[in-house]
Amino acid sequence: MSRASGRELRAAERERVPGGGENERFPGFDVIEQAHTWDATTSGVVLERLGLQPDLRFFGPAEEAAAGALFDHLLAQWEEPRVPVVQMVDARLAEGQTDGWRYEDMPEDGEAWRRSLAALDVDARAAAGEDGVCFANLSREEQADIIRTVQSLESKPWHGMPAGHVWSLWTRYACTAFYSHPWAWNEIGFGGPAYPRGYMRRGVGQREPWEVADTHPEEDPL
Amino acid sequence: MSSFTDVNALTERLSTRRVRARNESAWLLPNDGTRFDKALIENMRRHRDADEVDLVIVGCGAGGSTLAQRMARAGWSVVVLEAGPFWDPDAHWVSDEAGSHHLYWTEPRVISGSDPVPLGSNNSGRGVGGSMVHFAGYAPRLHPSDFHTRTVDGVGQDWPIEYADLRPYYERIERELPVAGQHWPWGDPHGYPHAPHPVGGNGEVFLRGAAALGIEARVGPVAITNGRFGNRPHCIYRGFCLQGCKVNAKASPLITHVPDALAHGAEIRSDAMVSAIETDREGRYVTGVRYFLRGREHFQAARMVAVAGYSLETPRLLLNSANKHHPDGLCNEHDLVGRYLMVQGAPQTAGRFAEEVRMYKAPPPEVSCEEFYETDPAKPYRRGFSVQNVSPLPITWAEHVSAQGHWGENLRTYMSDYVHWSTLGALCEFLPLPQNRVTLADQRDRYGLPVVDMSYSMCDNDRALMKAAQARMEEILHAAGAAEVMTIQRFAHLVGGARMGRTAQEGVVDASLRTFSIPNLLITDGSVFPTQGSVNPALTIMALVDRAARLLADGARAGMRSPDPTQHEEYST
Repeated sequence: MSRASGRELRAAERERVPGGGENERFPGFDVIEQAHTWDATTSGVVLERLGLQPDLRFFGPAEEAAAGALFDHLLAQWEEPRVPVVQMVDARLAEGQTDGWRYEDMPEDGEAWRRSLAALDVDARAAAGEDGVCFANLSREEQADIIRTVQSLESKPWHGMPAGHVWSLWTRYACTAFYSHPWAWNEIGFGGPAYPRGYMRRGVGQREPWEVADTHPEEDPL
Repeated sequence: MSSFTDVNALTERLSTRRVRARNESAWLLPNDGTRFDKALIENMRRHRDADEVDLVIVGCGAGGSTLAQRMARAGWSVVVLEAGPFWDPDAHWVSDEAGSHHLYWTEPRVISGSDPVPLGSNNSGRGVGGSMVHFAGYAPRLHPSDFHTRTVDGVGQDWPIEYADLRPYYERIERELPVAGQHWPWGDPHGYPHAPHPVGGNGEVFLRGAAALGIEARVGPVAITNGRFGNRPHCIYRGFCLQGCKVNAKASPLITHVPDALAHGAEIRSDAMVSAIETDREGRYVTGVRYFLRGREHFQAARMVAVAGYSLETPRLLLNSANKHHPDGLCNEHDLVGRYLMVQGAPQTAGRFAEEVRMYKAPPPEVSCEEFYETDPAKPYRRGFSVQNVSPLPITWAEHVSAQGHWGENLRTYMSDYVHWSTLGALCEFLPLPQNRVTLADQRDRYGLPVVDMSYSMCDNDRALMKAAQARMEEILHAAGAAEVMTIQRFAHLVGGARMGRTAQEGVVDASLRTFSIPNLLITDGSVFPTQGSVNPALTIMALVDRAARLLADGARAGMRSPDPTQHEEYST
């Protein structure tokens, strides 16, 4: 996989944005088409993300289910093909690849993940009033309610951890995985790696010949 | 060609020749498209542990590399022990955010206090070249006022040296990196050896906003070649400065000082984690360092030790080196080790433009402004801040967006708007406070060594500066035409933790970076800063160490050979 050129890959990878729909803002933009201009080391690292991800090693089945549902919400990934965030986060945790710090009032990241995912299941049981229920079983709206509650607690404790620090853990790992994926770059119009070629057309309103203009420039998300 | 151009060209040629005469690093790099000459490592002089070398340096970043190069040139036998790898930019570095995780110090660390400061990618490097491998590249000087803020502004701490003591070293290092930028009107006005880089969309927005408000802003100063320098090519504007420069255009000690250090006989032992500094039986002087290499513990004997592990690992090592004679850690008689640690408040404000900015297409450092650097008597706070371009790539941009509380569909929608945003970052001069400090946590790392607990809590002046800087950045972006702005509260850089002072009660080291406590132990990194100004610290670290190296080479070696009690008395007075 890592040796495949961008052009070979393209045929195999027909879906180019998460969820597999049209790229609404940057129609036809595919950063992978530029992979032949990247250095081999960078290509290896980036293209691997399009291949089969390692089997889960860190999350147990219950954690896998809760993490999957949580990431679907945090990243609004409702359809296949998804950026394989569960696998990418699992790999980081299995390898102990932390950000190099933890809050004093939080356990190490791996333990914090296990505890916070288990806590989602506890909240799910409380919400449903039934013992057999887990977070992944709830309806999408019920799941969203629980997630919103965690976010709104801010510095208050949630199952023995400051909710804000749990929120920081979840969003950091989720965003790092999702926005490292070329499909996500396509969706945001990011030109990607640029060595050894570099960028030549810089400045407001400038685009490389292969970059695609935003079709909705006035659409301020506010 | 006019005679004016002739003179300029000649001056430039002569000055480049002078740089090469004192530091040939840029000419020792390969000229064939690869980025480091492996023969330099293969042919490196290698010492045995039992060899009592003149100098062991702990850490191969901005401070350690500069000292190694200077002292190797002065004929000293030098061994540098570096905890991280010896980077090969071609094979080890990528144009990718997530793939650059190994550039950061990611061993366990604990953060605490009312304003805990995230570490890792934010401010902590490892490997030969240190944090400068992933610094943005800004290389501004401190202002003359920074050296006496206590006397003039009633805050912070006076340095035991003045700006004038550092100026010649700033000039030398600026030529060796080299630094590119417009003529600098702030602090001590000065020019730069390389011309300013052309700006991208992000820089254009900053210049436009500043011009509309009548605020001065300048392109630079960045330690990125603008034109060829030795065998280093010019910048190609690929935007991944924070992921290690694969081009060899952005300066890091790996390419600015390490090649020359190796060529002059310094040994750099990578993947060597120092666990303790040893003293003689009476605890009067240091005898060398213990370190782990490939799972085995070694002891490297040395006549002198310089610690250059930066503001967290340097205090940690001193504390972890406690012994019978130094029960609270080395050099800690006055409870100063680890204290007065500083970060800069670094709020990051982005503005939304209908035009496409595509801020990823240029070096993140482009334009900066030091108009608000000095104390303004009309303001309720002391000291000030600088404003600079920053250019978050997708993952760091997602952090900016999610800090606004966005997730799910909102996050995806905001993120899809990436190409329309331009970003500024401020550096606010936080004050040195004794309670902001490094201590040892209960937790241990894989070597069994207690890890850092870094506690940080802002004071009211710090908070006021953060607010003022954010307001100023919002104003600049609005003046440039931004329809919407959003800010994330961040911190940047680390300095202090083993500060310099006039006396042993005031600092851990003196103006020549020797510890007051132990005559043959030096601290040669950013932890010696008493205050920090509103500048990125790399250039000042190198200049300070260049000065200390000059003093060391000029005089003191004889006194350091196998010190005896008589000599010790001389040094302690």
